[in-house]
Amino acid sequence: MTAPITPITPEQYAQAVRDALAGHPDRDELIEDLDDHLAEIAAESDLPLEDRLGPPAAYAEELVAAYGGRPQSRQRRRPRPGVWAARAHAELLRHKPYRSFAAFLPELRPGWWVLRGYLLAMLLLAITARGGVVPANPAEWALVAVAVWVSVWFGRARGGRLVALLATGVNVLAGLALLAGMAAASDGDDQPVMMSAPADVMLVGGGLDIYNIKPYAKDGSPLTDVYLYDQDGKPITLDPESRGYRVDRSCGEPVLNRYPLPLIQEQELMAENGMPTAPPSACPTASTAPPTPTPTPTTVTPAPKKTG
Amino acid sequence: MDSSQLLKGVLDLAVLAVLDERDGYGYDVVRRLREAGLEDVGDASVYGTLRRLFKAGALNSYVVASDEGPHRKYYGLNEVGRTLYAASAKRWTSFAATMDSLLKEGHA
Repeated sequence: MTAPITPITPEQYAQAVRDALAGHPDRDELIEDLDDHLAEIAAESDLPLEDRLGPPAAYAEELVAAYGGRPQSRQRRRPRPGVWAARAHAELLRHKPYRSFAAFLPELRPGWWVLRGYLLAMLLLAITARGGVVPANPAEWALVAVAVWVSVWFGRARGGRLVALLATGVNVLAGLALLAGMAAASDGDDQPVMMSAPADVMLVGGGLDIYNIKPYAKDGSPLTDVYLYDQDGKPITLDPESRGYRVDRSCGEPVLNRYPLPLIQEQELMAENGMPTAPPSACPTASTAPPTPTPTPTTVTPAPKKTG
Repeated sequence: MDSSQLLKGVLDLAVLAVLDERDGYGYDVVRRLREAGLEDVGDASVYGTLRRLFKAGALNSYVVASDEGPHRKYYGLNEVGRTLYAASAKRWTSFAATMDSLLKEGHA
């Protein structure tokens, strides 16, 4: 059992005939009232126009044969995209899911009219004032309200070909505004987090306020000349200059990941939290060449149990 | 013999005859031709013929507004059309008489 076929409308049929006659020197004169003529035929019976008149292309052939002029077959050319779309639509209407979808579309029109008004208002604001997807003040909301009202009024208006052409242009403009708005929103959400990988790992920011590192041995004695590296073997450095200190270069160019850093404060040497400090001015006796880190797994050797 | 082939030769005369009776719009002319017995007449053929006769100056036309449907463009014979109709009818009558005579002789 085959599903009933949704008939092609008189307007669609007339357009297909018009397209089939493209290039005929008297085309406009020949079919100037074809729309009304086809509407008259369609109103008389529930039978689809294609069943009563045949395919639009054959109708056009017959029309030209009766009117005179060029043989249609010699003038045949590739249909325009609009004709392809109309034919594809007519073909798809034979299938129930598409027919249901197409029948539902008109119910979405009022919603589209409201959205169209909103989009055009925001487009106007983006051009004349500022960018954005939401009105920012009462004046902008008022503009949106007016635009929505005009869009709904325009959608409900009935007009001729000029109005239809204008509506198409407005719809395309609103569609582009919608795409632009979606792209803008997407850009805002997807700001990539840029992670740089400098040669030296610099511990700055994050509220840590670290400008020097003072290592201590297990017994509490301060350590000097301790080289720090991260897990990838990159030297860990600080930025003491940003805290008002400078690295003491009196003993030569220091290694910046060797801690504690020999720092000098211009005003005074501050005791830090009462903790013991390593003398910053002591020049290291070891070579300034930093050692090459050798990652070694940390092992824990349990202390032998004492017996007895 | 396919009557549509015969129609091609006499469609102008048939349309002129219908409009000589009274003015009519496109689909009205089609309907009246079919009611008269020319069931095979094609809508596009009649529409194209009307437009050609109008372009040739044999018809005048006027639009009548309709409350129930689309506006209708009526066609009617003007002086040129009436002259054309008279000459075509005379030619057809002569042609038909010749054919009748030929067919009677064939049956005899």
